[in-house]
Amino acid sequence: MRSKTPAYPYIVWMAIFIIIPVILVFYYAFTKTESGGMVFTLENFARAFEPIYLGVMWRSIRLAFFCTVICLVLGYPVAYIVAQRKTGTRDIILFLIIVPMWMNFLLRTYAWLTILEQNGIINSVLASAGLPKLNLLYNEGAVILGMVYNFLPFMILPIHTILKKTDLSLVEAAQDLGANGINVFLRVVFPLSVPGVISGITMVFMPAVTAFIISNLLGGKQVVLIGNLIEDQFLNVYNWHFGSALSVILMIIIVITIGIFSVAERDEGGAVL
Amino acid sequence: MNLAVFKRVLSAVLVLILSFAVSSCSGGKNELYVYNWGDYIDTEILTEFEAQTGIKVIYDTFDSNETMYTKLKPGSASYDIAVPSDYMFEKMKNEGMLEKINFDNIPNYKYIADRFKGMHFDTDNEYFVTYMWGTVGILYNTEMVTEPVDSWDILWDEKYAGQIFMYDSQRDALATSLKRLGFSLNTTDLNELTLAKMELIKQKPLVQAYLGDPVKDKMIGGEGAMAVVYSGDAMFSIGENESLAYAVPKEGTNIWMDGIVIPKGAKNKENAEKFINFLCDPAIAAKNTEYIGFSTPNSGALELIPEDMKNDPTYWPSEESLANCEMFFDLGSFIEEYDKAWTEVLAASN
Amino acid sequence: MAKRLIDLVNVTKKFNDVTVLHNISLYINKNEFLTLLGPSGCGKTTTLRIIAGFEYPTKGDLLFDGESILNLPPYKRRVNTVFQRYALFPHLNVADNIAFGLRIKKMRENVIKEKVEGMLKLVNLKGFEKRPVSSLSGGQQQRIAIARALVNEPEVLLLDEPLGALDLKLRKEMQIELKNMQQKLGITFVYVTHDQEEALTMSDTIAVMNNGVIGQIGAPEDIYNEPKNAFIADFIGESNIIEGIMREDYLAEFAGAKFKCVDAGFGQMSGVDVVIRPEDIKITNESEGQLKGTVLNTTFKGVHYEMLVQAAGFVWKIHSTKMSKPGENVGLFIGPDEIHIMKKDAKPEGEVLNEE
Repeated sequence: MRSKTPAYPYIVWMAIFIIIPVILVFYYAFTKTESGGMVFTLENFARAFEPIYLGVMWRSIRLAFFCTVICLVLGYPVAYIVAQRKTGTRDIILFLIIVPMWMNFLLRTYAWLTILEQNGIINSVLASAGLPKLNLLYNEGAVILGMVYNFLPFMILPIHTILKKTDLSLVEAAQDLGANGINVFLRVVFPLSVPGVISGITMVFMPAVTAFIISNLLGGKQVVLIGNLIEDQFLNVYNWHFGSALSVILMIIIVITIGIFSVAERDEGGAVL
Repeated sequence: MNLAVFKRVLSAVLVLILSFAVSSCSGGKNELYVYNWGDYIDTEILTEFEAQTGIKVIYDTFDSNETMYTKLKPGSASYDIAVPSDYMFEKMKNEGMLEKINFDNIPNYKYIADRFKGMHFDTDNEYFVTYMWGTVGILYNTEMVTEPVDSWDILWDEKYAGQIFMYDSQRDALATSLKRLGFSLNTTDLNELTLAKMELIKQKPLVQAYLGDPVKDKMIGGEGAMAVVYSGDAMFSIGENESLAYAVPKEGTNIWMDGIVIPKGAKNKENAEKFINFLCDPAIAAKNTEYIGFSTPNSGALELIPEDMKNDPTYWPSEESLANCEMFFDLGSFIEEYDKAWTEVLAASN
Repeated sequence: MAKRLIDLVNVTKKFNDVTVLHNISLYINKNEFLTLLGPSGCGKTTTLRIIAGFEYPTKGDLLFDGESILNLPPYKRRVNTVFQRYALFPHLNVADNIAFGLRIKKMRENVIKEKVEGMLKLVNLKGFEKRPVSSLSGGQQQRIAIARALVNEPEVLLLDEPLGALDLKLRKEMQIELKNMQQKLGITFVYVTHDQEEALTMSDTIAVMNNGVIGQIGAPEDIYNEPKNAFIADFIGESNIIEGIMREDYLAEFAGAKFKCVDAGFGQMSGVDVVIRPEDIKITNESEGQLKGTVLNTTFKGVHYEMLVQAAGFVWKIHSTKMSKPGENVGLFIGPDEIHIMKKDAKPEGEVLNEE
């Protein structure tokens, strides 16, 4: 009995901030407002599966996928290089990676506006070199750039954490058995870092697939993601029912993704642990 | 959704704290609590009013109709004057948030032009004294657009692909398309709305971005050739960048109005009416409109402002261009169709 | 004539400013079982890592078959290592661990399969191919680690305290197995341990190290019977070490008495260390002993009793199959052959290291 008491605040917390909102979302998703009352309906979901909205979902998943792949390709080498450094140097590099995250998220993303604009920094440089200007803003490229910029640390940190813990004797064992640098990496270091890679992928994919502020600022509503649709339903057009249905679908997408990755992690982790 | 609820709770708490602060010092003294948009009055006018009447003005500002609404809704914030836009006025009136104005105390009301009286949302002239008005039109950069701008059609001209900014709001964006097609911007005909929606989807590849407030910075910075904006924002932008110009398309547009109202339970109603009367004084109204740059409904003031300002179509659109203009009506539940149409425009791939 | 396979020539190794190896020279013959024995921190593991290629000496050279391999990376050296904590790859099963080196050499899979099976047979773990290594016991992991190294048919197998993590019984079994394996395969073993018993059991040659120098190299019997200094005497087996004086050749004085001995050449009246193994002191009647004393403590050790006897201001450690009770007054007798005289200056500071 005694051991249960300290959990109550946490349960209350869960109820207020997790369970109740989720119940409300489901409630709104399966109802519509009719003559002042709420009526059960599946209309919201039927609408969500119209081709136009499926297109938006597909775009969200596609962009989140690209963002995740790019983060992995950029983040893994960084994590690897950092993990190789001495503790002091490592802390400084990690600090530098984390510092931008202390800056306001909007401010960081706004900064990209002034870089990518038609009269922005990049185009000014191009123009002064006599080159034609590029349309860098308000397209999918800009949105992916913004996502990668904001979420890259979430890829680097978990991979770094696991690489840092890599048992040096395993690396030596591999060398001893004839593995050169590439073989050591491919056959030992990388396979052992897979759990970090998986948690990095999860931590980048989740915010990327739900992003709406980045796509608002850098996509200018030209690159509308499922997050923007939801935001619009709640804050502009006040259709909470449709917005909730979209939220439920997004939740399902996320649960499926987590499921796939945790299965992958378990398969991998069985051998690791 | 939880964010919205949270925001509401938070603002309710803030309002409570604020109303304590306000009410504790407002009992029966010769004071006036004014709640207006930021940068929406010539502050010298307040000083003059205080000097002339001995009434002390306490002046607060807001940045959106919704902020003001949230603050006044609980009924505990003791403001004597507020300045909502037309659609928000309608909402507040319907929710019983306003006091009737005693127009006997406002002799200067006679200077307000008749066309700004008895609006559809205040047909009996009981609550609303028009403060400023304006249009929605096209702000364009004369260095990039050399042809005359007089029609919404130019926003569909492929020459300007990637140079066009549309307004990120369902009523305003659809109004543009509806007026271009010759329909009412308050249409409740689903076919008309669908046509307007399809035109917006067709236009999407030409649009650089759908923006709200940031469009001013974009146009000032020369990031695009044209943008759909409110006339007040146009005046501001032109002030910052002289190569910008504003046009009201001949097919007509939306006319908007901000009005002075007295919130329910105002403690200094007589002072409020004195203040409204003061603002309706032609000299004061002229000074104010010159300072802010928005169009005044005060015909007496219009006589007093400089000729070049009066002839500037941005400030004062020609009668022909206003002929086809409409104000937004509350569409009741049909607004959902607008919402849906707009969502589909945004969701469409380009 | 034995062929010299590995030569360490005047090797010095410093980590930052700490010198862990002082100018070490050592050679290892082909097919030899050489053990580097010493307390922790003596430099034995560093020596092994230099041979494996994981450390680069600060000074000196390393020859393999007469050629310097100092600049050869570990993966090109014809040596394999069995690591202290096995260092098995946790993401691979037993067969894949063993096949690791063969796959890198890009051997055909059917050859690999055959060799892996052969190795598992050798280490008595047939049928364990598909097991994850985490499911194995310490002893089984140890065998896999050995199999993983041996399958590459190295000329030299380096073993870094390979049995350190096993319990006593298993350790004894593995000692014998390893020795048999070495003899069967004809591979040179370089074995690192701090366990003197292990070293004595398995080795052809022992190099005793302390504080970064090699104190003595020789066959186990020689090292045990003729330790070169008090430290080695103390480290190899248990010893009573006391200060004494060489009166003249074949006569030593210690513990207030004169003893005949078999050592000579120390000069007259020179200070020496006298080493006497506990099993070499005989307990007699009080009247018959060269020294008289009292038993302080008696412990049963299995094959013998260990008695601590206070005599002539010194506590003697004595092993005997006959028990004397604590409090009993006894005589101690030490024969001339049992007394080992060592030069005093050879005595290192590491006196505390006698208990293993």
